[in-house]
Amino acid sequence: MAQEAQLPTTPDRGGAGTPLLQAKTLTKHFPLGGGAVVRAVDGVDFAVLKGETLGVVGESGCGKSTTARVVMQLIPQDKGEMLFDGEIVGGRSLTLKEYRRQAQMVFQDSYASLNPRLTIEDSVAFGPTVHGVSKPAAILKARELLTKVGLDPARFAARYPHELSGGQRQRVNIARALALGPRLVILDEAVSALDKSVEAQVLNLLADLREEFGLTYIFISHDLNVVRFISDRVMVMYLGEVVEIGPVDELYDDPRHPYTRALLSAMPSMDPDNRTMEAPLAGDPPNPINPPDGCRFHPRCPHAQTVCAKVKPVLARTGEGAREAACHMEVAGSGHSRAPKLEEAA
Amino acid sequence: MTAPLVRMENVTVRFRGAQVVHAVNGVSLTLEAGQVLGILGESGSGKSVTLKTLLRLLPESRTDIGGAVEVDGRDVLALNPQELADYRGAVTSMIFQDPALALDPVYTVGEQIAEAIVRHEKVSQKVAMARALELLELVRIPSPARRLKAYPHEMSGGMRQRAMIALALAARPKLLLADEPTTALDATVQIQILLLLRQLQRDMGMGMLFVTHDIGVAVEVSDRLAVMYAGQIVETGTVRELLRDPQHPYTRGLLAANLHGAKKGERLEAIPGAPPALNSAPDSCSFAPRCKHAQERCRATLPPVVELGEGRVVRCILAESALAAA
Ligand SMILES: Nc1ncnc2c1ncn2[C@@H]1O[C@H](COP(=O)(O)OP(=O)(O)OP(=O)(O)O)[C@@H](O)[C@H]1O
Ligand SMILES: Nc1ncnc2c1ncn2[C@@H]1O[C@H](COP(=O)(O)OP(=O)(O)O)[C@@H](O)[C@H]1O
Ligand code: SF4
Ligand code: SF4
Ligand SMILES: [Mg+2]
Ligand SMILES: [Mg+2]
Repeated sequence: MAQEAQLPTTPDRGGAGTPLLQAKTLTKHFPLGGGAVVRAVDGVDFAVLKGETLGVVGESGCGKSTTARVVMQLIPQDKGEMLFDGEIVGGRSLTLKEYRRQAQMVFQDSYASLNPRLTIEDSVAFGPTVHGVSKPAAILKARELLTKVGLDPARFAARYPHELSGGQRQRVNIARALALGPRLVILDEAVSALDKSVEAQVLNLLADLREEFGLTYIFISHDLNVVRFISDRVMVMYLGEVVEIGPVDELYDDPRHPYTRALLSAMPSMDPDNRTMEAPLAGDPPNPINPPDGCRFHPRCPHAQTVCAKVKPVLARTGEGAREAACHMEVAGSGHSRAPKLEEAA
Repeated sequence: MTAPLVRMENVTVRFRGAQVVHAVNGVSLTLEAGQVLGILGESGSGKSVTLKTLLRLLPESRTDIGGAVEVDGRDVLALNPQELADYRGAVTSMIFQDPALALDPVYTVGEQIAEAIVRHEKVSQKVAMARALELLELVRIPSPARRLKAYPHEMSGGMRQRAMIALALAARPKLLLADEPTTALDATVQIQILLLLRQLQRDMGMGMLFVTHDIGVAVEVSDRLAVMYAGQIVETGTVRELLRDPQHPYTRGLLAANLHGAKKGERLEAIPGAPPALNSAPDSCSFAPRCKHAQERCRATLPPVVELGEGRVVRCILAESALAAA
C-alpha cells in the first residue's frame, strides 16, 4: 500500500440538509439458548444531524450500548440499515472500512481501551498507521492531537497508560478516536468514571473539539444533568425502543412520554427544602427478554389503559417543535381517553 | 449535654507498604444520634477509609491510626477482639456500593440475616427467621417469603441492595455507615433506595454517615454535609449552608461541576488539575496547586481551621476574612 502523509479529510457530500447518520429500524437480538431472546435493540429509528450532539438516555439494559455498537458496526444488525451522509453504510460507495474511519467511539473504561504495552503516543498513532499513514507522519499527528487534548507531548508522549490518571487516560482515548479524522464520534459513558471536577474539564474539551473539527457526537450517559448540558437533542430509550426524541430544552422542560417524565423526576432535587418525597417508578428496570406486548412501558405506566396493553404506539410528532413520542395519549383517535380528540387534531 | 453518637478527633490513617499512603490527615467530626451526615468527596479523598476506621476494617498490620474515635461511648480504637465482634453489627453496621461485599453467595438471604441476628441475640433459629422475614418486608422486597429462600445472584440489582440493607439492620444498629450504596444503580432505582434509607433511618432513630461523590444524592439524605479533599474535611455545615453559601474554593468548584442548572454552550468553570498524591503528610493547603485564590501562605503552612459558627467549619484562609467581615 502506498504510504500517505496524512489521512484525507472527508468532504461533506450530502450537504447540510442531509443528516450525518440515519438509522432505520435497527434491530439487534441476542439469542440466549432455550428459545429465549434478548431484544436489546428492537426497531430503532433516529437521525443525527450534522454538527449536533444527540444525547441518549435510559435505564441500564435499555439498549444504549448495543445501539452504539451496531452504529459503529462492531456487531452486525439483524435488521435495518444506516445511511451515513446519505450513503448506505457497507454499500458500494461507502465501504465498511471507510465508514469505520469516519465513525469512532470512546468507552467508559479508559484503562481497558488502551493497550498497556504501547506508549500513549504509539496508541494514538496506531490507527492511522493501520490505514496506511507512515509511522513518522502518524507520530507527528499524534503529538499534535495530544497537545489538543491538553497533554503536553514533552511530558506525556512516552508514558504508558498505567502512568496516567483516569482523566488523562480518557483524554488519550479521545485523541486516539480523533486520529483517523472521523466525522461522527460516539461517546458511551465516556465521562462517567471521572471525578466531577475532572469531568468538567473533559466536557469543556469535547465542546472545543466539536467546534474545531466540526464533529458530530452521539453522547450516551446515565447522568441527566450532563446530557442536558452537552446535547442539542435527546433520545430516550426504553426496553430496546425509542420512546421520545427531541430538542433538549423542550424535552426536559415538558416531557411528553410518561417514561421520560418518570426518568427526569428520579433526578435528585438539589434543593434541601424540596427533597424528593416519592419515587416516580417502583421496582427495577425490566428485562428485555420477553418484553410486554403493546406499549412496553404499560406495566409501570400510571396512565396505562386497555389499548396500551394491546397496541404498540409508534413514534409520532407531538408538541410545537420537532419532538416525537411513542404514546397513545399523544395520538388522536388512538383509543386512549387522554388522547386529543380527532376533530381538534384536524 | 449528652455525648454525640460519633466523635472523631484529629484522626489520621497511614498505610505502610511499598509506597506510604497518607489517606486520612486529621479528620474531626461529630454525629448526633438520629442525624445524617453526608460525606462528599472525589475518589481517593479518604471517604471509605474514614468509614472503615469506624468499624476497624482496615488491615491492622499495615495501618497506623492516630487520633480518637468514639462511637456510642466506646473507644473504638481500644476494643479487644471480643468487644469488637459485639460492636460490629449491633452498634455500627455498614452497607456498600457492591452488595457482593456484604452478601455471601453460598447462603440464602434468609440464612444470612438470621445468622446475623443469632450472633447478637439469644434467640432460636425460628425466631430469627421470622425476624428476617420482617426485615425483608421492612426494606420492601416484593414476595418477601419467597426471597428469604433466594440466593443473592437470583435477585436483581435493586433487590440485592435492599437485602444488604436488611442484613445491616438485623441487629438494630445505632449507627449505619453507607459507602456509596446507590452509585451503581439507575436513577430510578437510586431514588427508591435513598427514600427507603431516609425512612428507615428516621423510623429506627439511627445515626447515619452517608458517603457519596454525588451532591444531589447527598442533599436527598443528609442533614449536614462534610466535604473531603485529600484526606481532610475542608468544609462542614448544614446542607443549606453548603449549597447556598459554600466557602471553600473546592466546595464551590464541586457545586459548579455538578452541572445542575448549567446553561448549554456555556463553558464550565472546571477546577484545573487533579488531586494530589498522598505519599506524604500535608504541610500546606492540599488544594493550593488547583486553587485560583492560592497565596504564598497557602503553600507555606497548613490552612487555618476557621469556625464560622456552631458546626460550620472551613479549612481555608479565605474563611478568615469572611469571619472578620461578619
Ligand atoms: N452479547 C450479548 N449477549 C446477550 N445479551 C446481551 C449482549 N449484549 C447486550 N446484551 C443485553 O442486551 C440488553 C441491552 O444491553 P446494552 O448494553 O445495550 O444496555 P445499555 O442501555 O447500554 O445499559 P447500561 O446503561 O447498563 O450500559 C441488556 O439486557 C444486555 O444484557
Ligand atoms: N488498604 C489500603 N492500603 C493502601 N492504601 C489504601 C488502602 N485503602 C485505601 N487506600 C488509599 O487511601 C486513599 C483513600 O482511599 P479511599 O478512602 O478508598 O477513597 P474514597 O474517598 O474514594 O473512598 C487512596 O489513595 C487509596 O488508594
Ligand atoms: S402508551 Fe399507554 S402505557 Fe404507554 S406510555 Fe402511553 S399511556 Fe402509558
Ligand atoms: S487555603 Fe489558600 S489555596 Fe487553600 S483553598 Fe484556601 S485560598 Fe485556596
Ligand atoms: Mg451501556
Ligand atoms: Mg470509596
